[in-house]
Amino acid sequence: MLQSFFQWMQGLPFSAWMLEETWASPIIQCAHLVALVAFAGAVLVVDMRLLGRGLIKTPLNQLAREMDRWMIWSFVALFVTGAPQVLSTALKQYYSPFFWWKMQIVIIGLLFNFTIRRRVAFAEEGSLGHWPKVVGFLSIGMWTGVSVYARLIGLLS
Amino acid sequence: MRSLFEWVDALPSSIALRESLNAYPTMLTIHVVSMCLFAGLIAYWDMRLVGLTLRKVPVSNIPTRLFPWALTGYGINLITGALLLYSQPMRYYGNFYFWAKMVLMLIAGINMFWFHYATYKSVQAWDQGREIPMNARLAGVVSLVLWAAVVVTGRMMAYSGLMPQWWNNLNIGA
Ligand code: HEM
Ligand code: HEM
Repeated sequence: MLQSFFQWMQGLPFSAWMLEETWASPIIQCAHLVALVAFAGAVLVVDMRLLGRGLIKTPLNQLAREMDRWMIWSFVALFVTGAPQVLSTALKQYYSPFFWWKMQIVIIGLLFNFTIRRRVAFAEEGSLGHWPKVVGFLSIGMWTGVSVYARLIGLLS
Repeated sequence: MRSLFEWVDALPSSIALRESLNAYPTMLTIHVVSMCLFAGLIAYWDMRLVGLTLRKVPVSNIPTRLFPWALTGYGINLITGALLLYSQPMRYYGNFYFWAKMVLMLIAGINMFWFHYATYKSVQAWDQGREIPMNARLAGVVSLVLWAAVVVTGRMMAYSGLMPQWWNNLNIGA
């Protein structure tokens, strides 16, 4: 079922256009990386703060609130530049274990962010003991994992 | 220059890296992740200078608190970049995007030093405020544009078939 969905994506006229148009894929890939840098910075500023590093003179919830928008919008940019690549290389992605690992961690990372990480970052500082550190560590770990698996799709699949 | 690249190309350690199955994927992956640490933090510093974000954070807080991390990322980025280059010098020698990336990095570096040793000297006067001097904003915009261009040319290095015609006419790689 999933396989036929990926076959359907691969067969779309848009996918054919992406593959035919010489500059379409490289431009989208470059934009995905620029969005990645914006995303990484927004995540790191807060995660480092959760770990007790970085901008410790600024209240955590103030930083977290400010970075929230940047994180969401740069993720939107990642999605908008990632989805066309999934369409145009759907079968390659389908058969790459790294793609599936990447997407699983992306989903876990988003759920983790909106359920736990945000709550911890917005909470009264000092009220949660060591938990903020654990959360910051997990968040950095997950998004690094996403990037590593993402890069390996292209290199090893 | 060409003979230097050819000399490296023939070194046993360069050949060993080139022929290793794991070296290239490992180095490139670390290159991308360390880029995130470096460029990600620098982007928010630049945007602070431009006035786009973190406006309540004193400007001087960011260099003291974030630059050590950004520079760590940069160090790893430089090492892995250099290793990638070392492993296949002749692949990149004729590559337009490689040279463009090096020139862009150089200009970004000059912009950084210029800002640091001129504009930034007066930071006490505008540390807290929202009124950031025009020179500082300009340095921020220039830095954002240049580092984004470094990322783009970095990714484009893989597309040796998409180099400008005038560059191909120079026949540098041949
Ligand atoms: C739902 C959102 C996303 C989609 C649909 C998506 C999709 C893709 C696809 C299809 C590729 C190309 C892989 C290949 O065939 O080589 C890619 C590359 C990549 N993605 Fe994503 N991605 C998304 C979000 C993210 C996120 C959140 C991150 C990191 C935190 C990320 C990091 C990367 C990296 C590092 C690459 C390799 C870049 C390159 O050198 O081309 N992506 N993505
Ligand atoms: C001395 C410094 C550097 C050297 C020698 C260097 C060299 C390289 C080399 C050889 C590649 C592999 C290209 C390929 O085979 O496709 C690469 C890729 C790349 N570099 Fe660098 N680099 C350096 C610094 C940087 C910096 C500072 C950035 C960003 C701020 C950067 C961003 C990238 C990107 C985005 C890629 C493409 C990664 C991908 O395909 O996913 N590099 N670099």
